[in-house]
Amino acid sequence: MTTALSPTRSTGTVGMTIRYALMSTRLAFRNLRFLVLTVALPLLLFLLYANLYRGQDTAGGLSVVAYLMVSMASFGCIGAAINTGARIAVERQVGWNRQLRLTALPGPSYLTAKAIVSMLVTLPALLLVFLAGATVGDVQLSAGQWLGTGVAVWLGLIPFAVLGLVIGFAGTVDTVQPISMITYLGLSILGGLWFPVEAFPTFLQGVAKVTPSYWLADLGRSVLAGDGAPVNSVLVLAAWTLVLGAIGVWAYRRSGAKV
Amino acid sequence: MTTNHIQARDGAAVRLTGLHKRFGQVHAVRGVDLLIAPGEVVAFLGPNGAGKSTTIDMLLGLTRPDSGTVALFGSAPVPAVQAGRVGAMLQAGALLPDVTVRELITMFAGLHRHPMPVSRAMELAGITDIAGQKTQKLSGGQAQRVRFALALIPDPDLLVLDEPTAAMDVEVRRAFWASMREFTATGRTVLFATHYLEEADQFADRVVVLSAGVVVADGTGAQIKASVAGRTISAVIEDAADEELDRLPGVLGVTLQASRTLLHCNDSDLALRALLDRFPQAHDIEIAAGNLEDAFLELVATSRQEATK
Repeated sequence: MTTALSPTRSTGTVGMTIRYALMSTRLAFRNLRFLVLTVALPLLLFLLYANLYRGQDTAGGLSVVAYLMVSMASFGCIGAAINTGARIAVERQVGWNRQLRLTALPGPSYLTAKAIVSMLVTLPALLLVFLAGATVGDVQLSAGQWLGTGVAVWLGLIPFAVLGLVIGFAGTVDTVQPISMITYLGLSILGGLWFPVEAFPTFLQGVAKVTPSYWLADLGRSVLAGDGAPVNSVLVLAAWTLVLGAIGVWAYRRSGAKV
Repeated sequence: MTTNHIQARDGAAVRLTGLHKRFGQVHAVRGVDLLIAPGEVVAFLGPNGAGKSTTIDMLLGLTRPDSGTVALFGSAPVPAVQAGRVGAMLQAGALLPDVTVRELITMFAGLHRHPMPVSRAMELAGITDIAGQKTQKLSGGQAQRVRFALALIPDPDLLVLDEPTAAMDVEVRRAFWASMREFTATGRTVLFATHYLEEADQFADRVVVLSAGVVVADGTGAQIKASVAGRTISAVIEDAADEELDRLPGVLGVTLQASRTLLHCNDSDLALRALLDRFPQAHDIEIAAGNLEDAFLELVATSRQEATK
C-alpha cells in the first residue's frame, strides 16, 4: 500500500485509481468536524444505550446491546459515506474537478476512487463502535462472527457510498450540506437505527422497509446472530446500488457538460 | 488576414475546424478555425465574452462542441490529455482546499503517467518557497503560479494557459513570463489567452484575435497593427501636392499637421522608398508604428458591426 503512494511507481490506471483514493482518504481524515460527526456521535449514543439496556434481550433473542451496536455502527458509517461523497460538490465548485479532468485518470476511475474513499472513511466508526461493543458493551462473539458482521455491514454500505456521490454531483455547495444531513438523519431514523422499526406506526413500518438503512442493519444483525446474510437484504441493497449508480453516472455526465 | 500556416499541415499541434458552441440563446463560438504548428507561441487575444475560454474548454475536451472538430497532435483532446501531451492552466478556482502546495502538486503528479518531478515543476513555477503553505492561504498571484506548476506537471508538448497573469502584479508577471520562456525554449507549443495586448505582443510569435466568437485577425503583433492602423510616416515635404502623395504606393491617406505631412500607410517600407524617390527634398522623417490597442479596438468594433448586420 505504501509503495502505491509514490507517484513514480505503478503508472497503470488501476494503480493510479488506488493512489488517488488513498490520497483523498488521507485528506478526508484531516477534517475534524467530519470525524466528530461520524465517529463521536454514534459512539457516545452507543455507550449511553449500552449502560441503559445492559443484560436485556430483544424479542428476537439477540442482546439489546448487540442490536444497538449494529444500529449505531450503521448510523456512523452511513454518515461517513454520505458526507464524503457530498464533499465532491465543494471540489466541483472550486473547479478542482475540471483540473482533474486534465489528468490521465479516466472518469470511471475517478468515480471508483471516490467510492473507495467513502468506503474507507466508514471504517473508524465501524471499528470503534464494535470495539466499544466488545469491551464496554460486553458483546461476546466468536472471531468469525465479529469478522463476518463487520464485513457484512461494511459491504452493505456500498449503496450509501454511491448515494454520497449522487448528492455530490447533483448538489451545489449551498444545497449539499442540508441535503446530505437530511438524507443521513432521515435514513437513520426511518431505517430504525435510532428506534426499533417495531415501535413505528404501521404506515411508517412500510416506509422503513424500502430504506437501504433498514436492510443494512437487518443484514448486520442476521450475520451477527449466526443466521447468515438474508437474501432479501442483499437484493434490496443491490437494487439500491444499481438505481443510485445509474443516477450517479447521469449526474456525473450532466455536471461535466455544464462546467 | 495573414495566417502562419508554417509546416503545420499534418503535424499540427492544434487543429480546430469549424467549432461552434451555443449556451441557450448565446452563440459563444461561431465557427473557429485555427491551426497551430508545434513550437509556436500563440496569444489568444480578445475582450471578455469573446469566446476565448469556451474555445479553450473545447480544445481541452472539457466542453463538447456543438459542431466542428478538435485535434491535438492528430488525436482527440481527451486521449491527448490522458497521454500527458497537454498541460493547462485554467481560469480561476481550481485549487483543492486544506492541502499544502507540495501535497497538491504531488497528488496531481500521481495522476499522470510520466510526470515531471514535483520539485522541478515547483522550481520552474517559482513556488519552492511556498511549498509548505496551505492552498487557501495563498495570494492571487501565488495561486496562479501553483496552477502554472500543475500545468507543467505532465511535462506537456502543448501548454494551454487561460489568462495566466490575471491577479499577478507587474513583478510577478515579469517573473512568470521569464519562467515561461525557459520552458518554451525547449520547443514546446503554447497557446495563452489574454486581454492584455502588451502581453500578446511581447510574448507571442503570433496573435489570434477573437471577437464575438469568431477569429477576426491572425498574424504577428506587427502584422495586426499594420493591417488596421498601419504605420505612419511623418515628414516635412515642401512643394508636394496632397493628391500626389496620396497616390504613392503603400499610402492609404494623407493629413497635415502644422508643417509636417502625415502619410498613413499599410506598407510603410514601400511608401518610404517611393516618397524618397519622388520627393528627395523630404526631411525630418519619422516612422511610427500603429498602436496595437487601437488596432485591436478597431478590429473588435468592425467585427461587432458585421455581427449585428
